[in-house]
Amino acid sequence: MAGATQNRTLLIAGAVVVVLIILIAGYFLFAGGGEQPAEAPAQEEQPAAGQQQEQATGGQEGVAPQLPQLTGDVRTDIVNIARYLEANGVTEVKFRVHGAGDPNSIHRVYGIVEAAARLNKILEEEGLQLRIVIEDKKFSAKADEPAEVFLQSFPQRQEADIIAVSYRWISTFAEEGYILDLTPYVEAYKNTELADYYESLMNAVTYKGRVYALPQDTEARPLYILKPVMACLGYDAWEIAQKVDAGEYTWYDIFRIAKEAVDQGCSEWGVIHRKGTAHPDLVQFYYAFGGEFTGEDPEKLYLYVDALYKWLSVEYALARNGLTPENMLEWDWYKQIHPTIVSAKTAFDIGGIWYWTEWQTKDYYLDPQTGERRPLTAEEVYEKFAYSLFPAGEPGKSPVTLSQPFAFMISANAGKLNPDYEKLKDAYHMIAFLLVVKANDPDLNAIHSIVSSHLPIREKSAQLMNDQEFIQKLASGNLDFILDPEARDAFAELSVKTANPINIEFLSKVSYMLNYTNVPPLHWAYQPLAEFFKEAVDFVLKGQMTPEEATQYVLDQIRADPELAQAIEIVGEIPQGWTFP
Amino acid sequence: MSYSRALTLAFFLGPAMTLVILFFVLPVIVTLYASFTDLRNWNIQRGLTEFVGTYNYEILGYMAFNNPKVKYAVITTIVFVAATLFINVVGGLTLAILTFFLEERVSTGYRLLWLLPRMTPVAVYSLLWYYFFHSSDLGTLNKVLLSLGLISEPIDWKLWHLPVGTWMILVFVNGLVGVSFGMIVFYSAIKSLPWEYIAAARVDGAGNLTLVRRIILPQLRWHLVFVTVWQLLSLLTTYAHIFLLYQWGTIDRLWGQTWSLFVFTTAFLGDQRQGLAAAAATVLVAIGAVLGLITLRIMGFQRLVTRPRGEL
Repeated sequence: MAGATQNRTLLIAGAVVVVLIILIAGYFLFAGGGEQPAEAPAQEEQPAAGQQQEQATGGQEGVAPQLPQLTGDVRTDIVNIARYLEANGVTEVKFRVHGAGDPNSIHRVYGIVEAAARLNKILEEEGLQLRIVIEDKKFSAKADEPAEVFLQSFPQRQEADIIAVSYRWISTFAEEGYILDLTPYVEAYKNTELADYYESLMNAVTYKGRVYALPQDTEARPLYILKPVMACLGYDAWEIAQKVDAGEYTWYDIFRIAKEAVDQGCSEWGVIHRKGTAHPDLVQFYYAFGGEFTGEDPEKLYLYVDALYKWLSVEYALARNGLTPENMLEWDWYKQIHPTIVSAKTAFDIGGIWYWTEWQTKDYYLDPQTGERRPLTAEEVYEKFAYSLFPAGEPGKSPVTLSQPFAFMISANAGKLNPDYEKLKDAYHMIAFLLVVKANDPDLNAIHSIVSSHLPIREKSAQLMNDQEFIQKLASGNLDFILDPEARDAFAELSVKTANPINIEFLSKVSYMLNYTNVPPLHWAYQPLAEFFKEAVDFVLKGQMTPEEATQYVLDQIRADPELAQAIEIVGEIPQGWTFP
Repeated sequence: MSYSRALTLAFFLGPAMTLVILFFVLPVIVTLYASFTDLRNWNIQRGLTEFVGTYNYEILGYMAFNNPKVKYAVITTIVFVAATLFINVVGGLTLAILTFFLEERVSTGYRLLWLLPRMTPVAVYSLLWYYFFHSSDLGTLNKVLLSLGLISEPIDWKLWHLPVGTWMILVFVNGLVGVSFGMIVFYSAIKSLPWEYIAAARVDGAGNLTLVRRIILPQLRWHLVFVTVWQLLSLLTTYAHIFLLYQWGTIDRLWGQTWSLFVFTTAFLGDQRQGLAAAAATVLVAIGAVLGLITLRIMGFQRLVTRPRGEL
C-alpha cells in the first residue's frame, strides 16, 4: 500500500514538473517571437501617396507634428521626417545594412553609408539635430548570404534593416511579409528621383503588382570569344561576334568552331562555362531555344520541354566531344576556370560582364615569362577577348542574354533598434527608403558600375559614365563628392585601378545587351526548378544520363512533389527527330 | 505527507528533469508539432499556427514512391549506416586491441593520431577530402595514381561503379571520424580489466589471439552494446560532412544523399519547407528509436542489467 502511494506521489510530482517545464519552455519559444507579429506589409498603414495629411509642423508651438507624407523631394522629406521624430524626442536613428557580392561591389554596403552621410548633411544644413547612423555594416563574399541570414533572423527580429541581394528573393520575402511593400513610396518618387530608372529593372522588382525593392545594379552575360584561338583558326573573333548578335550564327556554329579549335590544337577546350548553379547562367540555353517561364496563368510557372531537352542536348554533345569538361560543374574558380579562360585555353567562355574587371584585379593569369601568377592588364583583356550575346539555339531563334539584378530591400521591421518603434515605425521606414534612394544617386551608381563592371540602373548614371571630367576624377582617386571618409577611401582604392577608358568603353558597348535580356520570373517554384536544372546539366555532362533521361528526370522531380506539380505547367514534349550537332 | 514528499521529489528531480525535458523531450515534441504545420521560410508566427494535418506526411509518402532522389536516399542511408557502423565498431575494437598491445608511449601517440579527424573542424576536414577525391588531376588520389602509372586518366571517384564509388567516399570519410570513438571506449575498457585475468591467462600460456578471444572480448560486451547503439543513432542523424561533400560535388547528387541530409536540405535549402522536413525528421526519430531498441534486444541488454542470481 505504502509502495503504491509512493509510486503515485512520484508520478504526480513528475507530471507536475514535466507540465511546468513544457509550459515555461513553450512560453519562451513561442511568446518570445510572438510579441511583434510580422504584419504583411501590404496591409500596413503606410502613407498613401494621394492621402491628404498635414505636413510636419515641428517648431510651431502647441501643435504636435503629424507623420509627414512623402513628397518626392528628398530634402523636403528628410526634413519633415526629422522634425516629426525630433518632436517625439528622437535625435538618432540607427540602421543595419548587409550586402554581398564580388569584392569590387562595395557599393552594396557603402552606398547606404554614403547615403546616410548625404542625408545627415541636409539635416545639418537645415539646423536639425537628428542624425542617421549606420551602426552595423556587413559585407559577405557569398552573394546569397545576406538573404539567407535575413530569412533565418527575421523571426527573431535580429535581421539587417536594409539588404542588397539578388532580386529573386523578392517572392519569398514578400510572400512571408518579411520586406516592406515600397509601392506607396515609389508612387511618391516616380516622377522625381525614380523617373530615369530603367523600366525593365523596375519590373524585375515588382511582384504581383507591388514594388518590393529598388534595383541596385544589373548585368549581362556575354559569350566571350578568345581572339588568340580564333586567330589560330584563321577567323576574326569580332566577325563571329557580329554574326552571333545578328542571329546568323547559332549554337550549331559555335559547336563547329569549338570543335575545330580543339581538333586543330588551337585550344585545349571548346566551351567553358560557370559552375555550381545552373541558375542563372546556363538557363540562357533554355531561352536561346525559345523557352519561356511565363504564360497565360500568372500564378503558374511554365516549363517548355523541347527547350529544356535541346539545352541538355547541347551540353551532352559538348562533353561527349571533349569540348567542355565532364566535371565542369566541379571546376575550381581560382585554379581552373579563370586560369583556363585568361590563358586562352578555351575557344569560348560563357561568363558575366563583371569578369572584365575581375580579370584585372585577381591573379588568374600565369605569366609564361616570369612563371608567376598575376592579373591581366586592361590592355591585355582588350587584346584577348571579343564578346557577343548568348547565341541563338538554332536557326530561326534569337540570341539572348540574362540579367539577375541586385536590389536593395527593406525589412518589414526596419528601424526596430530605435526608440518608440511601434509608434514611429512609419517614419523609420521612410528614412530607410530615402537611404536606398540616395544610395542610388547617379554618381554613386555610376562609380559602382565602373569599379565592379556592372550596368547602371538609371539613365543619369549611364550619362555620367560618359562624362570625361567624372571619369578623370575616378581615375585620379579624387572622390571629393563622397562625404563619408570610409566610403571615400574604399571607392578611391578601387576606382584608381579600374577607371580607365578601356573598361568604360566595354561597359557602354555591352549596354545594348539589355535590349535582349531575360529576367527569370519571381516565382517560388523557380528555385527548386533551377536546382533540378543544375542536376540535369551535371548528369548529361558526365554522361550519367542521356538528354532524354535527364529531361525525364526533371519532369519526374516536378511530378514527384504535389506542390511543384501544381505550380509548374509542363508544356510540350521531347521533340522527335531533332539532333545536335 | 504526500504533498511534502512530492515537493521534495520535485526539488531533487527538478534540475535533472528540466535538462532532460528541455533538451531531449521538448525538441521531439516541437518537431512532431511542426510536422503538422505549414512552417516554411522560418516564418514561425505564420507557420506554427497554420495546421495542415497529415499533409506533410502524405507528401513525404508520395515522394518516397515517386521521387527517385528520396528512394535513393533511403537505400543510401541503409548502406551508409550499416557499413559505417561496422567500420566504427570493428575498426574501433581492432585499434583498441592493437594499441593495447603496444608500448604505452607509442600507443598514446598512435591513438592521438586517430583522434585528428574528430578534432579537425568539419569544413577543414571535408575540404581535405574534397581535394583528395577531386575528379580531375588536382585530386591527390588521382595525382598519386597517375604518377605511379596505375591509371592513365583521372578517375571521377564518385561515379566509379555508381553508386559504389559515392558510397565508399561516404563510408570512408565518416568511418574515419567515428572510429576514434569506439577506440577510446574500448581501449579504456580493456585498460580497466583486472590485470590478474590477463596475467593468469599469460601464465597459462595464452597467446595474444587467445587472450583477445577468451579474456578481453567477453568482458567488453557492455561497451560493445553501448558503442553500437550510440554510433547507430549518430550515423542515422549525421549530415555535416556529407552536406559539404554533397554541396561541393565530391559525392553523387542522386546517391550521396542520406535521409538526415534530406531533412536538412528540405528545411534549409531551396524552398525551405521546414514543416515537411519536420515530418521527415519525425520518421527518422521513430526509426532511430525502433532500431535502437532492436539492437539492445539483439545484443542482450536485458541480460546485462539483470541482477545476478547469487551474491557476488
